[in-house]
Amino acid sequence: MVDSAGVLAQPFMQRALLGGLLTGGLGGLLGSFAVLRQLSFFSDALGHSALLGVSIGILLGINPTLVLIPFAVLFALLVNQLVERSKLPADALLNIVYSSSLAFAVVALSLVETYRGGIQQLLFGDILGIGWLDLGVIALLLLGAVLYLVLSMRAQVLLTLNSDFAGAFGVRANWHRIAFIVLLAVVVAVSIKAVGVLLISAFVVIPACAGRLLSRRFPIYVLSSALLGGGCALLGLFASGLTNLPSGPCVVIVQFSGFMLALLFKAIF
Amino acid sequence: MDNSVLRVENLSVRRDGQLVVDGVNFELLSESDTALVGPNGAGKSSLVAAVLGLLPRQTGEVWVLGHRLGPAGELPHGVRSQIAYLPQSFALQGRFPLSVAEFVAFGFDPPGPRLPWRNRSKRRAAVLVALARTGSSNLGAKLLSELSGGELKRVLLAFCVVRPRKLLLLDEAQAGLDATASEQFQELLLQLRRQEGWTVLQVSHDLEMVRRSCDQVLCLNRYLRCSGPPTHALNPQRLAELYGPNVVAYQHQHHG
Repeated sequence: MVDSAGVLAQPFMQRALLGGLLTGGLGGLLGSFAVLRQLSFFSDALGHSALLGVSIGILLGINPTLVLIPFAVLFALLVNQLVERSKLPADALLNIVYSSSLAFAVVALSLVETYRGGIQQLLFGDILGIGWLDLGVIALLLLGAVLYLVLSMRAQVLLTLNSDFAGAFGVRANWHRIAFIVLLAVVVAVSIKAVGVLLISAFVVIPACAGRLLSRRFPIYVLSSALLGGGCALLGLFASGLTNLPSGPCVVIVQFSGFMLALLFKAIF
Repeated sequence: MDNSVLRVENLSVRRDGQLVVDGVNFELLSESDTALVGPNGAGKSSLVAAVLGLLPRQTGEVWVLGHRLGPAGELPHGVRSQIAYLPQSFALQGRFPLSVAEFVAFGFDPPGPRLPWRNRSKRRAAVLVALARTGSSNLGAKLLSELSGGELKRVLLAFCVVRPRKLLLLDEAQAGLDATASEQFQELLLQLRRQEGWTVLQVSHDLEMVRRSCDQVLCLNRYLRCSGPPTHALNPQRLAELYGPNVVAYQHQHHG
């Protein structure tokens, strides 16, 4: 076991904690809307597609980070069209999409000799390797997401309740639906490096579900989801630093514990 | 002075490749109460959706308060905020962390981006009045997902009445309500319509209610089969043409 002062003194750990706070907060913020719109599976599919994006970048010899964001956005828009136009249930369709993406990505990566060792990092993330540039991008994204969601709160809530109702009262439903999906895709793509493909959906879904159990007012729900996301990430990373256990899974275990506490709280009060 | 609130010209709508509304024309004058009736699958909901700009039109024009509805449902914010709509279903899955008062407050704001805390005290006062006028004052702190069917419909009416509007479209708004709740909803609607001066277009299967409270009927079965006052449009011969010989199943919902 490492002492806590020693852990906090490390610059990489300070960056990781800040990265966790921002990524967790961003995940909780967008998750609060994604969960109500039943987009939890969608964020999972986006996470798996990110792996495919990385593998395409590597195969083409392009920096995977540069490929990831446009790929995730394009992928999200295509899947959205597929869900809207096909007559199949969305959960079944998304299941097909994400398992196929994972299969293609792993096959593609196994063809690249030099990248075999990196799969573990892609699957579970490497938040300790986060740099100042990554932090800047995540902070800007968080700021943009907060601005967009606050200014369009009426549209977001009405759209989440009932798309036709929202449209009748002047919400540009298609525009906002696509804007939100693009935002979610960018957030997933940017967070993959820190959180990993397999755990990204936990960052989106778990804090929002805990917030949903605890809140009776909408702004409190959104705020508590973001705070739980950020707070659990901080706690999880700190625990990971102290125990030398993998950081991403530690964060998700703390998120899960928070969710169980919320369930207990709801059951008692 | 132009008394027209809604004008529909040669409206045709295609849904899933099928022509469901074909060449429909009608006009709603200010403060009129019009029922849109017809059998299931007659295109009533599609017509309402097209009038609201939620469905694309195959042909035709829609004019709301003298403004032409754009191809993708565009209307000036000032005109759009004069329109209210009650959908057939408003299903909420699971716990939805939005209180009734918060929901009704969103009805106060006009469309477009804005800071949620702008006009806070005005909005709060308007919400209290709207809840009181719909008999929902005791529901303000409840979650929207905790309401019964009848309570939810009253709250939806509070959402409509929280700011002045001209046109109210209802798509089988009484669906899912029992006979008593349906009657109470209709009474509340009638009372608010008179107080607010709303022009109403309501899709309904309750022909007795239509006879009692509407002043114009549009009979639709893909195209407009007949229109006029209830005594003219809902006579047995026209009903048989519209619904077939089993028309009696649609009647006698009268209570009290």
